[in-house]
Amino acid sequence: MLKITNLRAEIDGKEILKGINLEVKPGEVHAIMGPNGSGKSTLASVLAGREIYKVTGGKIEFNGKNLLDLSPEERSREGIFLAFQYPIEIPGVSITNFMRAALDEHRKHKGLKPLSASEFLKFMKEKKALVELDAKLEGRAVNEGFSGGEKKKNEVFQMAMLEPLLSILDETDSGLDIDALKIVANGVNKLKTQQNASIVITHYQRLLDYIVPDIVHVLYNGKIVKTGGKELALQLEEQGYEDIKFKADKK
Amino acid sequence: MTQHKVLSKQDLLSLFEGKKSFISDIDSHKKALDYINANEFPTNKTEAWKNSNLNQLTKHKFCLPENKNENEVLEDTFAVFNMQPYKISIINGKYSPENSDLKLENSKIFIGSLKEAKEKHSDLFNKYYNKTESYKDNVFASLNTAFAEDGVFIYLPDNIVLEKPIHVLFFSNGREQKAFIQNRNLVVIGNNSFADILISYHSVSFDSVLTNVVSEVFLEENSNLNLNVFQGEGEGTFHINNTHFIQQKGSNLTTNSAIMCGEFVRNDLIVDLLGEYCNTSLNGFYLSEKEQHFDNYIKVNHLSANCNSNQLYKGILDNKSSASFFGKVFVARDSQKTDANQSNKNILLTDNAKVFSKPQLEIYADDVSCSHGSTTGQLDKEALFYLRSRGISERNAKTLMLYAFISDVINQINLTPYKELLYFLLNKRLKGDKIEGLCSIKICPSC
Repeated sequence: MLKITNLRAEIDGKEILKGINLEVKPGEVHAIMGPNGSGKSTLASVLAGREIYKVTGGKIEFNGKNLLDLSPEERSREGIFLAFQYPIEIPGVSITNFMRAALDEHRKHKGLKPLSASEFLKFMKEKKALVELDAKLEGRAVNEGFSGGEKKKNEVFQMAMLEPLLSILDETDSGLDIDALKIVANGVNKLKTQQNASIVITHYQRLLDYIVPDIVHVLYNGKIVKTGGKELALQLEEQGYEDIKFKADKK
Repeated sequence: MTQHKVLSKQDLLSLFEGKKSFISDIDSHKKALDYINANEFPTNKTEAWKNSNLNQLTKHKFCLPENKNENEVLEDTFAVFNMQPYKISIINGKYSPENSDLKLENSKIFIGSLKEAKEKHSDLFNKYYNKTESYKDNVFASLNTAFAEDGVFIYLPDNIVLEKPIHVLFFSNGREQKAFIQNRNLVVIGNNSFADILISYHSVSFDSVLTNVVSEVFLEENSNLNLNVFQGEGEGTFHINNTHFIQQKGSNLTTNSAIMCGEFVRNDLIVDLLGEYCNTSLNGFYLSEKEQHFDNYIKVNHLSANCNSNQLYKGILDNKSSASFFGKVFVARDSQKTDANQSNKNILLTDNAKVFSKPQLEIYADDVSCSHGSTTGQLDKEALFYLRSRGISERNAKTLMLYAFISDVINQINLTPYKELLYFLLNKRLKGDKIEGLCSIKICPSC
């Protein structure tokens, strides 16, 4: 589904990603862990097409297409979804209008007719229940005045609405208490199928208790320095990153 | 040094040679003429006009309108869908009964021609006309006072709640010539009375027109007025508008100004809060493009204690267009417990668009709550990325955000059919469809 080959990217002339290789297949859950500043969020941003990052080398192939040729909106319509670490407030734009506009464009891309108003509301109601999103939020402006938990739930709600093939969860656990974390993780798990895949980016092992990964990668200094099964996350939790850092620096 | 061409007072004055006053009594006429003789047209050295360059006006030679087809019935295309108002039309500064629809249930209410009111209701006319002394504001207002021929008079006696809104339509027609058109209006809302008014300006042709409007509006004790103004004159229009409000004790005023058309628009709103416990809410939005210039100049004078005033103006500027917002809140020494807010926000869509924004407070009382704010910037790039990352095209994401930006202002309108019309026009405009002041466009959401 996704194949990243030797990806390099920089911001303001500073190289952050220094040759990333990663392959994700349908049905898989990948976790990317790593210390602060290792390039985790940069990788997520580059996948979603954030323009402030400049790709200086390598390839990203997504279902046979060159992802780097596509605009952020085209990537979304092709099935990529980034759950933001810090969801943005959009003053005045209601969640309903926002999702209506997004879903219309996704359906148009697939050659489908837009949903009627009542079909749309029914669809939205189902998806809201999935992430236990408060009904009061739908009339409000996107993320405006939302608590940290509400913002993250809103991200998973949008993910449910758009049914992506590949979702990238960027530090979705940051700013969440344990109850909100369970709800968010539960939502993500319910959305999992054999056809879609997820990349879960996190600092801590905690989230991985709820969203269980098939493969764990450790990103350090712009490179994936270690890959293993879910036990790798537990090992990191116990030992920290020091050992891995030390070995990578020695190379 | 480059020679600045200045709008010639003599040129405009010569149009009125041999003309007498139509509306003003001898005294008002003379005072206005004296003011004209003693003052020049504002230039960019005049503080209140420094961001609005009148030089463009010097390119044109204006004539008085001929009014050949005075009785022409205009196609009813400016009717706001679902509104069914009392309707009064003024074409090139003259009342047009053919284009008006006034069946009033109460014989004490007057909606009609100001010229007619001068004869029929001379007591009311003499009580209110020219009492705001707006002719002292600038030469345009004094020209209007000296020579305007007609306009609208709206009078609601005490204790009347007008069920239907009033729609005042002003048409300018420069079809054969570049016309200099003046409108003079007087609105009086009696004690405890309530009215919704929509004033809309339209042009029948694209040719340059200079429209010069002066309105005086009196809100008597505990009265309520919602006044909406829609500027829909065509591309070549210069529109200069001076509205002066006098609010008595406990009265509530809400205005909403929508400017989307015209080449040069200048709106002066002056509010004198004479009585205590008044509420004033002045809202407006402007969408400019090409080389349009829109100027809102607002003064709220808190001359009594315990009054609230609010100003909310928002603008979106495209291409090389420009806008100016000047809002002043003046709080007199004894106007304690004044609560006044001002907010002006602008979004610039290009590097060439310009905004001059100057909210101002002048406070002489010591127990007041006043705030002001002004922001001018571009669309938030992070927010745009967020919307795009959900599959929304860049263009649609911008439209969504701009629509939301202006919605704040439109939402304040309580005349629902008009509010829906504005949303419809806003959407059309943001999608890049043309909206012009032409009659040929039907402006109802269903068409």
